[in-house]
Amino acid sequence: MAKIKVASDWLAACAGCHMSLLDIDERILTLLEYVDLDATPITDLKHPNPDGVDVGILSGAVNNTTNKAVTEQMRERCQILIALGDCAVFGGIVTMRNLSGTEEALRRAYIESESTVDGKIPSSPELGRAIETRAVDQVVPVDVYLPGCPPSADAIWFVLTELLAGRKPELEGENLKYD
Amino acid sequence: MAMIEITINDQKIQAKAGQTVLEAATDAGVDIPTLCHHPALTNWGACRICLVEIEKQRTLQPACTFPVTGGMVVHTESPACVESRKFVLELLFSERNHYCMYCQMSGDCELQDLAYRYGLDSWKYPRPYDSMPVDASREYFVLDHNRCILCRRCVRACAEIAANHTLGVRERGASSMISADLNAPFGESTCVSCGTCIQVCPTGALIDRKSAYMGREKDVEHVQTTCFACSLGCAVDVVSRTNHMLRIESVWDAEPSYGLLCVAGRFEPLHDLRPRVETPLVKKNGQLVEASWDEALDAAAAGLKQAGGIGALVTPRATNETFVAVTKSFQNAGLTHSAPLPDLPADAVLADVEHADLVVLAGADVMEDHRVVGGYIKRALDRGARLAIIGDEDNGLAEYATLVSPEARHAVNMALEASQPVVIYGADTATKAADLLRVLASRARFLPLVVGTNAVGAAQVGLDGTFPAAQGLYVLLGDGQANGRVAAAAAGAEFLVVQASYASPLTERADVVLPSPIWAEQSGHLTNLEGKIRRVEAAIAAPDGVPAAPATLQALAGRL
Repeated sequence: MAKIKVASDWLAACAGCHMSLLDIDERILTLLEYVDLDATPITDLKHPNPDGVDVGILSGAVNNTTNKAVTEQMRERCQILIALGDCAVFGGIVTMRNLSGTEEALRRAYIESESTVDGKIPSSPELGRAIETRAVDQVVPVDVYLPGCPPSADAIWFVLTELLAGRKPELEGENLKYD
Repeated sequence: MAMIEITINDQKIQAKAGQTVLEAATDAGVDIPTLCHHPALTNWGACRICLVEIEKQRTLQPACTFPVTGGMVVHTESPACVESRKFVLELLFSERNHYCMYCQMSGDCELQDLAYRYGLDSWKYPRPYDSMPVDASREYFVLDHNRCILCRRCVRACAEIAANHTLGVRERGASSMISADLNAPFGESTCVSCGTCIQVCPTGALIDRKSAYMGREKDVEHVQTTCFACSLGCAVDVVSRTNHMLRIESVWDAEPSYGLLCVAGRFEPLHDLRPRVETPLVKKNGQLVEASWDEALDAAAAGLKQAGGIGALVTPRATNETFVAVTKSFQNAGLTHSAPLPDLPADAVLADVEHADLVVLAGADVMEDHRVVGGYIKRALDRGARLAIIGDEDNGLAEYATLVSPEARHAVNMALEASQPVVIYGADTATKAADLLRVLASRARFLPLVVGTNAVGAAQVGLDGTFPAAQGLYVLLGDGQANGRVAAAAAGAEFLVVQASYASPLTERADVVLPSPIWAEQSGHLTNLEGKIRRVEAAIAAPDGVPAAPATLQALAGRL
């Protein structure tokens, strides 16, 4: 049987979800018997294979135009999209920015912060532009949700092995946590 | 009580007539999820989480308010129930900020528990982006409207348990908000900080400042003991972690107050910032220096003996066991604080107050000294009782009273016509008033507002206010505060031994200072103003090497 191709990326995230993925420890060797890791923050490849992957994993919320482009590309190139962690699933802690508003948050960070002298809000066309923070499913359809801040390694392992077995993961008990 | 048969989830059960479906199901061991329901409060039917399918009913019905009827057939987890519960949860999560990852209730939240139970792995509806106010204007707790689900438990607790009626709901529909008084800042409202609302809040909307983020239910220990704030001796549940008190909660089904506490019982003990005395101290060349227990006890005994005439003053904030040890160790002993009550009967319990049709309050301001009694009086008033105060308009309950008069005869006349009068009397009851009130002995029940936490227990072993001067003075102050009487006795003493939990001007004056456990570190019993023995259980351990008060007394007595 051909190996399953998996790509992942993180958006507005703390990297905790990917750390939790690495926390599956030696089980990653078992995983690699069935899975080819395509573009991931671990392999440091930036774009999923243009020919497509079977499973795409996104952690983090969408809070700028770059994240939005990454999310849309992942959706285009994967069969099954997993939203990994509270930020990807709900918007998470990143949505706190929405409580003050994007403009207000940028001004506070780049101009008003105590350590800043003559600050300015970055506006280079090469950079993504900040937008209202959203969960992944507010941008593209998501197939599998795995909340948690971060989700435990066991919950990640459960979801991946269920998918490998051809089942849609149903989270319950210790696998379903919001914190 | 008449029993009727109903069927829940294909199981035939016997229910009591008049029960709700929820009560019948709970008795039968069937778990119907709830959110706005709380066993200590009236049922409201606000949240719709407990909706169940009842055959022959047109729509799903709330189990918490729907009464059982004979032959009723109920399904609690049918697909229709589960679907409606998920729908309700989806709506609740979409309404305000229910991001669990930075909420202090995460892990102990009833809303979160239900989302887990019904497998909510994502949210169907748009996320909340509107920021709601956080009312942090109170000293001991915070109201975060962002976490509120409008279940109205706090509103009911404020009305039904505390009878304070501070909390309500303003606006309608999606604009509904919990409101103190007529939308006053919580800190400037009529709230009396009884804290009942925090204890019943199912989410992180009402936050105890002291214990927020300090540990989840799985991390903490609970010990049920007795409050030392006044002589009522309410049951309290002390919540601690690694020997630090985090929070004090009430105990719903325990005498005497059945779930009502006051600010002095629930919050003030956790905000005591006085420095502890943790090691014995002996005065050498005018300076208190650390000493071993043996050195300190030897010095105390030698000094007391040399002074000629030994006397002891003991705080009423002590256990019955401590009082016995005091009387065994010292022939000449009395209480640090004492205020004799008039010679009137003492035959009421707190619960009698709620069912009185007339409350006569004499010589006491319960809103200062016995606030939980005040809460019970207000509960009686809510049920239609009248209040007659023998005192003046300064009384904290004067605004609720039908009659306020320094003359007792008007109140006595009212009581003679009442069917279930209760007389609550304090130390400031005038002799003349007491003489008149005595007429009611056969008609009314009497509740004495004893001054001093365990003054009843002290009196039972013969310790009271009488105290002849002594040159060698031992003061067992415990975690109490010294008053003028103690200061005067100390000033007149040649040699002073103070056993105290906290450093104070009195310990500075002492020749020997012995550490003492605080109330929550003691075990034993106290006798409350109802005359009932209340169990005192150590909720936390005393600092290393500090023995229980009776043991210290025994060690000292052995040297005298």
